[in-house]
Amino acid sequence: MKEKNNILRILRETREAMQEENYSKVKTLSNQTINTASLTQDPDNILVAVIVYSLNKIFQNKDKKEFSKKSRFYKKTVKALDYSIEDIEKNNITKFRKDFEKIRKELTKLSGKLKSHIEDVFRKASINKASKLYEHGISMERTASLLGITMYELANYSGQRETPKGIPDSETINAKKRIKTAMDFFE
Amino acid sequence: MQKRELKQQWIFLNKMTKKEDQQKRKKPKKSEERIEKVIVFDASTLISLSMNGLYPELKKLREDFDGKFIITKDVWHEIIEKPLGIKKFELEALKAKALLEEGVLELPNSVGITQKQLSKKTNTLLKKANNIYKQKNKKSVEIIHKGEASAIALIRELEKKGISCLLAIDERTTRMLIEKPKELQNYLKRKLHTNLKLDKSNFKPFRNIKVIRSSELVYIAFKKDLVRLKDGERVLDALLYGVKFKGCAISSDEIKKIKKI
Repeated sequence: MKEKNNILRILRETREAMQEENYSKVKTLSNQTINTASLTQDPDNILVAVIVYSLNKIFQNKDKKEFSKKSRFYKKTVKALDYSIEDIEKNNITKFRKDFEKIRKELTKLSGKLKSHIEDVFRKASINKASKLYEHGISMERTASLLGITMYELANYSGQRETPKGIPDSETINAKKRIKTAMDFFE
Repeated sequence: MQKRELKQQWIFLNKMTKKEDQQKRKKPKKSEERIEKVIVFDASTLISLSMNGLYPELKKLREDFDGKFIITKDVWHEIIEKPLGIKKFELEALKAKALLEEGVLELPNSVGITQKQLSKKTNTLLKKANNIYKQKNKKSVEIIHKGEASAIALIRELEKKGISCLLAIDERTTRMLIEKPKELQNYLKRKLHTNLKLDKSNFKPFRNIKVIRSSELVYIAFKKDLVRLKDGERVLDALLYGVKFKGCAISSDEIKKIKKI
């Protein structure tokens, strides 16, 4: 695990935000992991980014009884977060991975439509985080591979997004010149 | 489809192209005596075209082209093998597979380059590419993956044979690495909030590669009247924005410029 202290801080703050039902803060926290994830491409950082982002998407539906503060899933999630924090504090990274994955496993235990909704949330969270890594300058294929998604999903998602300011989307060479290069090749 | 079946299919395709190649060598037709031009495709370009339903146009472009369209095994994995196991993208994978079977796309052994040869070169290039941008702690930022590296490796191997090449790639990072490594360095520094040094010695193999995207391919298809839709200039606008929204890294400004050409 790389940048252990950063992960620990993110998880502690996520735990607090969950307690306060401040899910927009949970989303912000998940975005804070992206820099480290781009730089180190460490699977633990990537896993934390995906799961924390999913928690925001799932529990912001707090009006649904399955995701309210009283629900079994909320309690199990918070418990798994507590265990995960404790594992990192004790430097037991193998146990952390197991405990942290329990959040995903518990949530996918739901049945019927909710189960597919949750699976969809996790998949979309992976695609969202992949597009963030791509925006950070990591190639499309490398990003797709790190997040376990297909390039079709990533291309489709990043193509739909507004290009954030500062991304040199692309005139790395003059547009006319590139067209000429292509045209000449087909002559 | 089972992984084993796919592997068998890969072996079959390899044998098939090798056999065809041997036959060509025995009885060379005048027009087939020598391959002079190749477009090497990265997965990102094929994905933009596929998701816009533009494979028939790609096929027409191939028929109009006096050379070959080639993909590497790593690109094959990205556009066919991996998505075949996912229902949402199974159809896209099958369409790409059909392109290979029809000979629109070919494999490196169709020009006498073996997988072993290419793998070795790919690994070397991958190592170099992922050691170009170094942090203060000497660790590098790994920016590209096998598919992209293998396409560049193939170009370098083809050039040794005197074949001129274009790289068709829609994703931004590899293109920037090839054409504007310094800009990519500044961009990475800004986004990753860290100081990065450019190791020029590792950058050498990525110099002087000519890059096009699906946007240039649809432009040519349009100008050569190979596009099925007929609705004047509007079709070009739709094609360019179509590929942009499916992952081709092209700005709206560039689209405006291309439309004015």
